[in-house]
Amino acid sequence: MESQIHKIHQQLISKEISCTQLVQERLGLLKLNTHNTVNSLLDTLAIELAAKVDSKIENGEEIGLLEGIPFGIKDVFMVKGTYTTASSDLLKKYKSPYTATAIQKILDAGAIPLVKENCDSFGHGSSSENTIFGSVKNAINPKLVSGGSSGGSAVNVAKDYTVFSVGGDTGGSVRQPAGYNKIYGLKPTYGRISRFGLMAYASSTDCVGPIAKSIEDIRIVLNVMSGKDVKDQTTYKSEKISKENILKCDEVKTIGYFKNFIENDAIDTQVKSEFLASIEKIKAKGIAIKELDFFESDTLVSTYYTLAMAETASNLSRLDGTNYGNRIEGGSLKDTYSVTRSGNFSEETKRRIVGGNQVLSQGFSDDIYLKGLNIRDQISNNFEKDFKEVDIILSPVTPNSPPQIGDSLKDPLAMYLSDAYTVGFSLGQLPTITVPQGTETGLQITAAKNNDELVLKFANFLKDTI
Amino acid sequence: MTVDILSSIKGAQSSDAVGKLFEVIKNANKTNNSFNKNHNKAVFLDDLREDIVINSPQIEKQIIIENFPKEKNGYLVVSKVIEE
Repeated sequence: MESQIHKIHQQLISKEISCTQLVQERLGLLKLNTHNTVNSLLDTLAIELAAKVDSKIENGEEIGLLEGIPFGIKDVFMVKGTYTTASSDLLKKYKSPYTATAIQKILDAGAIPLVKENCDSFGHGSSSENTIFGSVKNAINPKLVSGGSSGGSAVNVAKDYTVFSVGGDTGGSVRQPAGYNKIYGLKPTYGRISRFGLMAYASSTDCVGPIAKSIEDIRIVLNVMSGKDVKDQTTYKSEKISKENILKCDEVKTIGYFKNFIENDAIDTQVKSEFLASIEKIKAKGIAIKELDFFESDTLVSTYYTLAMAETASNLSRLDGTNYGNRIEGGSLKDTYSVTRSGNFSEETKRRIVGGNQVLSQGFSDDIYLKGLNIRDQISNNFEKDFKEVDIILSPVTPNSPPQIGDSLKDPLAMYLSDAYTVGFSLGQLPTITVPQGTETGLQITAAKNNDELVLKFANFLKDTI
Repeated sequence: MTVDILSSIKGAQSSDAVGKLFEVIKNANKTNNSFNKNHNKAVFLDDLREDIVINSPQIEKQIIIENFPKEKNGYLVVSKVIEE
C-alpha cells in the first residue's frame, strides 16, 4: 500500500480535507468500533491540535510531514495528563505526570494523538485478552484474537482508525499482532528508540515500535522516534534512514532461514508450504538461500519467559498501591501490599510475577535464571555467527494462524509457545519487521544489530517479489 | 519463603504452565564460558545526566497528588506500619 502519511499530507496542504474534519472522522470511527481497541479517547486534545494545524494551513504557513496526522498510542506509554492504565485494574485511574520520549518526539513533529489503545495488561500476553477493557477482536475476522500485546494498536491501523500507532514489543508484541492483522510492524534494534515513559515489562528486551500500513510510513515514524536520550542510557545515536536508500536492495546476496522452525510438527502445514514457496520466489531472483541451525523452539520460549518473568517481577514490585494505583487497605502495611496486588493484577500478570520471583530466589537462580542468561548469550553468539554468513534471516511470524477468542486464556502454555518465532530475535536485540506477505500471518525480516535500514530495504524488495 | 510472600500477592501459587518452561531450562545445555562476554553495559562518564535537581512543573506535581490513593491536606496518606 502507498504511504498514508504522504497521501494525507497532500490532502491537507491542497485543502482537499481539513485537519479538523479528518480528526473528527477518525474519532467517530474509534467511538463506534466494536473491536474493543479503545481504552480512552483523547478527543478534546486532538480537536484542539487539529484546529491549530488548520489555522496554520489557512495562514499559508508550511506544515511538516507528520503535522496533522492522526495516530494511536498503546496504553502503556505516558502522555502527560492522560489516563495510562496498562489495561489493568491497578492503574485504571492513573494519570501520567509526564510524556514518554518517543511520544513527545511525535507530538513535537505535529502528529495528533487520538487514542490510548487496548493491549494485554502490562504487555503480559499474546492475544490482547488479558485486559480489563474486553478482548480485542481481530480486524479481519472478529471471532479471532487480534494478537498481542499491542492488539488494539494493530487493529486500529488495519481498520484505518489511526494512520499509524506506536506499540511496544518485548517478545513479539508489535510483530505478532501486525502479522495477525496483515499490516507492517517493526521492532527496531534494542536502544534505537528511548524507553523512557514506556511502562517497563522486561527492560532488557523492551522496544518501542511503529505499526503502519506501508514501509514508508514505518520509516518516517521510526526516524522521528529514534535517537539518544539521556533519560534512557541504553539508547544510542543513529542515522536517519532516507527514502531513497531503502528503495534498492542490491547488497543482499544471501538470506538464511532456521531449518528447525520449518521442519517440525508444531508448524501449520499451510504456513510451512507458503513460507517455502516464498523462499523459492526469492531464490528465483538470484539470491542464495542458506539453511541455518538454531535453538529448539521450546528452549527459545523458555529462555525468553524465564528472563522476562524475572525482570517483570522486579519491575512491577513498585506497584503496591502506596504512591499511586488502586490501593486496597489491609490490616497492616504488608497486608495492604498483598491484597492490593492480588485484587488488581490479572491472572496472567500474577503468573508471571510469581514465576519471576521463583527463578530469582535462592535455590532456583543458579539452575534456571543464571542458566537462562547463559543460553541468551549462546543465542546472541549464534546470531553473530549467522550474520557473517547471511545478510538477512527470514522467518514466519507465528507457527499457526490466530486462535479463536478465549482459547489462549484456557491454555497459557500454548500461548507462550505461539511466541516461538519472535522471542529469539528479541533476546538477540535485533531489528525485525513483520510484513503482511508470504504466509497467512506474514513474514519476519531480521538483520544484524543496528542494521534497521537493511530490514526496510529487504521489506521493499519482498513487496515487489512475493 | 513461599511464592505469595516473595511476590506480595495474597494466595499466589506457582503455575504448572510456567513450571514446564522452567523444566526446559533446567535440562538445557550450558556452555562453560561465563556469561560476561556481552555484558559490559557501563556508560561513559560524559554520557551521564547532569547531577542537578530539576524542579518539576506545577502541573506534574498536581497530577502526582491526584494519583495519591489517599490524600490529606495535600499530603500522601500511607498505610500504618506495624513493627514485626
